[in-house]
Amino acid sequence: MCKQMNEKLAFLRDKYGCPAGKIVAGQPGCELELEDGDRVPLLPWRVERRFVELKKIVDGKTLEDVSTFRFASFTVGGNPIETAVRELDLAVFLAGSPIDRIFAVGSGNAAYNILARFKNGMSASVECGSKLPTGSDVLDRHEIIARRGVASDRAVDTQVPQSSIYEWTTDGTRTFTDVDTELFGLPNEEIWIVRAAYAVLMKPELAAEWKSAAAAMKRYADAVVRSAAQNQPVDL
Amino acid sequence: MPSSAPPPKTNPSICEVKPIMKPVKIAMMGMTHGHTRKYYQTLLENRKLDWVASCAADARAKEVYELYKTGVPCYLDPEKMLAEHPDIEAVVLASANEKHYEEMKFCAERGIHILSMKIPTFDMDEYDKMIEMVDRAGIVCQIELEMHYNPVVKRLQQEIASGKLGRILSIQATNITLSPVWAFPWQGSPEASYGKRVPLAPGDRRFRGGALCDHPHIFDLTRWLTGSDYDTVFAQVAPNLRKELEVEDMLMAAGKLKDGTAFLFDPSWSRLEERLKVPGPGWELFPKRMEVNVTITGEKGMIQCDCFGPNVYHNGAPNDRYTVQYTYFDEWVGLIDEFVDCIRNHKTPKINLKWHRQTIAFMNACYASVASGKSVAVQ
Repeated sequence: MCKQMNEKLAFLRDKYGCPAGKIVAGQPGCELELEDGDRVPLLPWRVERRFVELKKIVDGKTLEDVSTFRFASFTVGGNPIETAVRELDLAVFLAGSPIDRIFAVGSGNAAYNILARFKNGMSASVECGSKLPTGSDVLDRHEIIARRGVASDRAVDTQVPQSSIYEWTTDGTRTFTDVDTELFGLPNEEIWIVRAAYAVLMKPELAAEWKSAAAAMKRYADAVVRSAAQNQPVDL
Repeated sequence: MPSSAPPPKTNPSICEVKPIMKPVKIAMMGMTHGHTRKYYQTLLENRKLDWVASCAADARAKEVYELYKTGVPCYLDPEKMLAEHPDIEAVVLASANEKHYEEMKFCAERGIHILSMKIPTFDMDEYDKMIEMVDRAGIVCQIELEMHYNPVVKRLQQEIASGKLGRILSIQATNITLSPVWAFPWQGSPEASYGKRVPLAPGDRRFRGGALCDHPHIFDLTRWLTGSDYDTVFAQVAPNLRKELEVEDMLMAAGKLKDGTAFLFDPSWSRLEERLKVPGPGWELFPKRMEVNVTITGEKGMIQCDCFGPNVYHNGAPNDRYTVQYTYFDEWVGLIDEFVDCIRNHKTPKINLKWHRQTIAFMNACYASVASGKSVAVQ
């Protein structure tokens, strides 16, 4: 997996001229190994184009006075707490503020529902679960509600993610959503890992920012577990 | 590396960046085309290019160009631009259609490679002279049909080529947008857009030069996806949505390819707009300002394809209307990469003047059909 991603990263480095670095397996997710041996956790959701556009919508004041983030992410297996903290970090990225309180309820290892409050007063809900049947695509939604305007990565009057291409043949229905011409051929989740590594190489100050965010994600995970066990909110 | 050289200081498992080819010294001319601003980021970021100058068609175009603060000097006289930048190797002709012939001649005479906007000219004699002058000069002339570099289109082409759908029987495609005429007035001028003043049909007060001239993409893609050419076409115009325009804004075309595939195209300006002088947020009235959708029926299945979706959506500033915020939009990256590759490695671009001639002939046939009220053969 890393070999193919590193080939694509080398392509981008060659084309745009950026320092050396290599994608390696981390715990969890992937990391970027820099020339001096330092390792940076990669936060690919922070470079995923739909979230970059949502960030532009927030930072550019297309939405004014953001109040609440309504996020959801349901997966085929996996650890719902890992999913939840990724979503919480995405909300932190969009809110531009750290989380200061988390309340969580869970149902075994299958599902968690979380309410978070940010230092700047904004609020977030995160719904996540791991019980989609094998073969399903991730089911997610990211909605930002502001005093002026609502933004979302889901179109009005739809409940599930849409695709660019729908193909119906005797083999059944297939869908495709290709998002990156330069990295065409990689699965989308790997595209964002390569783009994340490239972002750190092009903007070295991201390394410290992402290390700090990854450390915060560990605190969110602890808080989720603790809150669910105590049935009480946990201050951070 | 000689054996006496010191060992590399870096981690040997992390590969080095390869030295790159000499960057192409590039300029832009005209700056009045709707796609002009889409080049800025790519020309600035791609290190295979050195964007050295721009030359605006007039003071107004220069004024708009300067709003984008590219840091690249802008001239009003191409001779002056070349005098100050004699090393320019290639030019993006980002101008009104009526200017293309003279600009192409200017470049060809000086051996400068050309990236032309999507309509070189509608005059087929002039078109053939363009082919001759480019061939004689031995330069690269690529036509800007950016859909070829769209990742969704790339997937669509792969799926069709795989044979999963079997033989293609029918294609429907839309290339529908708002009208750019308020920001780019030449697109509402029959002379500037079509090249001359030709009435749409007897008794019709409108002239050729509107939405059809703005939207060649689906006509081109259909040829590319099927490997066939146009046989016949019947086209009809509808009442204009914008009564002030003297060119068509609503039309449809249906017909057959030479391989028997039936087609139906909608290249209209069917999405209304705020009449902004400079495109920007809030331009659209309908949530999605531009759509290229393709439906394909094959003997063994079907495909529906949205080349610019899904996206993200909002109803915030400036107009509090539900709006599509385009999320995946990097066609110009691949297009410029191909242009540079062709220049440095002496290749012929996929979309060159000779390939594109049939698409322009088809567009003229659409107008001929509107004029005659009959299905016409595509020459």
